[in-house]
Amino acid sequence: MANQGGSQHGIARTSRVRTEAQRQRDLERIASYRVLEDDLRARVKNPRTAYADRASAQHVFDLTTRLLRLNPEYYTVWNIRRRALLVLLPAGPKARRGDCCDRSSCSCLGETQPSHGCPKAGRSGTTADDAGDHTSEENDEEKKQDDEETEKQTRTMLQTELEFTIPLLIESPKCYWIWSYRLWILRQSISRLPVPVARGIWQAELALASKMLTKDRRNFHAWGYRRHVVAQLESDALGGGSMVEAEFQYTEDKIRADLSNFSAWHSRSKLIPRLLEERGADEKARREFFEAELDKIHNALNVGPEDQSLWYYHQYLMLNLTTLPPNNEHTITPTLPIEDRIAFLRNELAEIRDLLEDYDNVKLIYEALIDLTLDLCRLEGKRKPDEEEKENLREWLGKMKELDPMRMGRWRDFEEGLRREWGVEA
Amino acid sequence: MESLSDTLWDVVICGTGLQQSLLALALSRSKKKILHIDPNDFYGGSEAAFSLQDAESWVKGLTGGFNGFFKSATLVKSEGTTGLGPSRAYYLALAPTFIHSRSALLSQLVSSQAYRQVEFLAVGSFFIFKPAQDPCFRPTLTRIPSTREDIFSSTAVSTKAKRMLMKFLKFVLDYEESPQLEQWRSHADAPLTEFLGEVFKMDAELQTYVLTLTLSLDGNISTKDGLATIRRHLSSMGVYGPGFAAIYPKWGGLSEIAQVSCRAGAVGGAVYMLGSSIKEIETVQEDKLLRLSLSSGDTVRTRLLVRANDSSGFGLSISRLVAVVDSPLTSFFQPTVEGAPRPAVAVVAFPTGSLTTPAGATYQYPVYLSAHSGETGECPNDQSVLYLTTLSTPDSNEILQKALDAFLSTEEAQTSHILLRLQYEQSGGSTDLCAENCVITLSGTPLSLAFDDSTLDPVKEAWKHVMGEGAVESEYMNFPDREGEADEDEANE
Repeated sequence: MANQGGSQHGIARTSRVRTEAQRQRDLERIASYRVLEDDLRARVKNPRTAYADRASAQHVFDLTTRLLRLNPEYYTVWNIRRRALLVLLPAGPKARRGDCCDRSSCSCLGETQPSHGCPKAGRSGTTADDAGDHTSEENDEEKKQDDEETEKQTRTMLQTELEFTIPLLIESPKCYWIWSYRLWILRQSISRLPVPVARGIWQAELALASKMLTKDRRNFHAWGYRRHVVAQLESDALGGGSMVEAEFQYTEDKIRADLSNFSAWHSRSKLIPRLLEERGADEKARREFFEAELDKIHNALNVGPEDQSLWYYHQYLMLNLTTLPPNNEHTITPTLPIEDRIAFLRNELAEIRDLLEDYDNVKLIYEALIDLTLDLCRLEGKRKPDEEEKENLREWLGKMKELDPMRMGRWRDFEEGLRREWGVEA
Repeated sequence: MESLSDTLWDVVICGTGLQQSLLALALSRSKKKILHIDPNDFYGGSEAAFSLQDAESWVKGLTGGFNGFFKSATLVKSEGTTGLGPSRAYYLALAPTFIHSRSALLSQLVSSQAYRQVEFLAVGSFFIFKPAQDPCFRPTLTRIPSTREDIFSSTAVSTKAKRMLMKFLKFVLDYEESPQLEQWRSHADAPLTEFLGEVFKMDAELQTYVLTLTLSLDGNISTKDGLATIRRHLSSMGVYGPGFAAIYPKWGGLSEIAQVSCRAGAVGGAVYMLGSSIKEIETVQEDKLLRLSLSSGDTVRTRLLVRANDSSGFGLSISRLVAVVDSPLTSFFQPTVEGAPRPAVAVVAFPTGSLTTPAGATYQYPVYLSAHSGETGECPNDQSVLYLTTLSTPDSNEILQKALDAFLSTEEAQTSHILLRLQYEQSGGSTDLCAENCVITLSGTPLSLAFDDSTLDPVKEAWKHVMGEGAVESEYMNFPDREGEADEDEANE
């Protein structure tokens, strides 16, 4: 096992030095793990018996608990746990009404399936139809109590499952299988619990995502996870409304805590179209919003011009100016007249040039100036740069070559492009 | 059991101020025979903290002379206030000094395991007081930005000024490297403000911000010292969590550090005696011993004596006003940034020129106000303790009063009333250590609002004297966990 051939470059393979006592301990641990695994596999070989009744399902479930604590990466075992859990979970009131499971959560295995697709798992389904002797009021009372009991049981079991994943996540925070199981449990909450209860669980999940982002602001997996959780909270299934304003504020808070947060700026840009739509922003409001964003990014660039995430957002704002109708409804100011766009660009050029006064060796400023100049030319009827502009372009390109000599090939290429397309001789 | 007189002590430490207590901590695993005494009947010496009753006794004890470093103390409870709580609800600190995250004191507390006994709180924002331009307006308090994000969000600084601040911040972080070094070396002994004006082209207002970050008592700190202090502040930012650069020990600041250190000393076998002072010292030359007569009547023999210089201090002298107010001043103790802990301490600086003397002249020194919330354990939760400090001058007592009134007239502090005022003057020590004929004399702690690491040097020197040949540099303040030792033994069975 120690010497599996050079799959890693330059790292010498050394065999681990173990004492005899350590080796024996390792062998014991491997043996007990194997026993667990063999037991589980033997049981699951026949799915019909493995999950046939609560007792066997529970046994399988407990085996998965022990195995997963030792090895959370064993994804087959997570699947086995899901199947066992589906047997152990009471059939929800939603289920009894017949609008229960989608395929993914159905534990129906084997060839014959009841016509409504859902086995009478957990409590044997006492429906109003069966209880012929009771009056309908007593039936309703009973059903209500049953429902409450079911809900309580389901909630407790799902909560326990979420808690089970926590210590595993702390040890292996990047293990996809744990996160996937967590999401599956969360989906179960939607299909099995009343909306307010499910909502509460998902809201706690949002708090968890926020906590992760506080620990590591730039973890883009965490941002993606957050977006997923927010999308669920907004969905009809959870009786949600739009959370766009709150999420926009969240990006604001994150940026205030750390300007250099690529993901926060990116999220912001993704939220803006929907935000403006929901606010019912008219032309005037949109223009004001755009100006406020410009102001904000200028303020940020003023203190951090070397920060790429800020320039990224600046480019996004510039795109808003250079993306002309038709097909520009998603921009901030789709109806802005062309003269105004040109005015904004000219103003940008002045603002960014002002930065050069105090920051004369930041490559990204020169790149932005070149882009702005060419954008201006494009907007003004695709004209060629005039003499002054050509002089500037040459100077700025020269600066970039000086500040970033490693990319000389790229700059030469760019220079060639400037000559061919824009008539700017070197 | 051996009596005090029978034991041949390796060292007698007199005084339980910070330095002596840290020495006890340093020696706590050494198996040396240590007798640690203090003339007071409380721990902490010049760094002690007091309940109201103890504060009153302390003040009374000072009348008719000085007590080494302190003099002219008064304690006044405001007329007709029903707001003051019971005596034990207060714990007023003589040394409300906060500690930068990168301070060597913290590393020593960690490596010696003593940190476990201390609860640390965050020190939050620094504010600058600006007198009202117009009599019908209130004076204002502006937060001093000290990180890039602070500068970004600040509305008090112009765009151009923000760039200058940014450049300066970046400069300071590497100020000892080239090319930065060449830029300031020629100004090293000149005032920092001059350097800021000439080289960074900062206007007076911006200079004030930067100067305040140094907490300079005379407002005239040199470029060399100023850059060092600011760098310490900036590099301490965020070390133990977002939004703060310094921490404050709960329960009276340095007093708690002293107490925890003495506790460690006691666990290590040292014998403690409060209310005991040295009446006479006799050198027994042939045996290289000292014979000490204590006020308790005992005579003890020891190889070494460590004590503080009890004649009056020298150099800097400060005036302090400690005021208890009946408001929790919540707006001062807001976390500065998302995810930051709630601070328990906030600093307000009154820069040179923002206050006028009773005679009407502008006061030529800064005044610093350190606000402590009830979280510090120093007062009830619905009150706050304000520690005002300025250099001692004939006007300083009135100036401190004026500063307090000015602070209470700001928007954020307006509804508060003063419940109690404690005032005194304190002289500073130096970090010299004198070792002669088996007697080591410490010269007290330098006076500063933020802990000065040079305070630690004499402690180490004293430790070396006590340990003699047995002094192992790497073991200084570096101990394994006492609990851990026990566990290790079990595992090896």
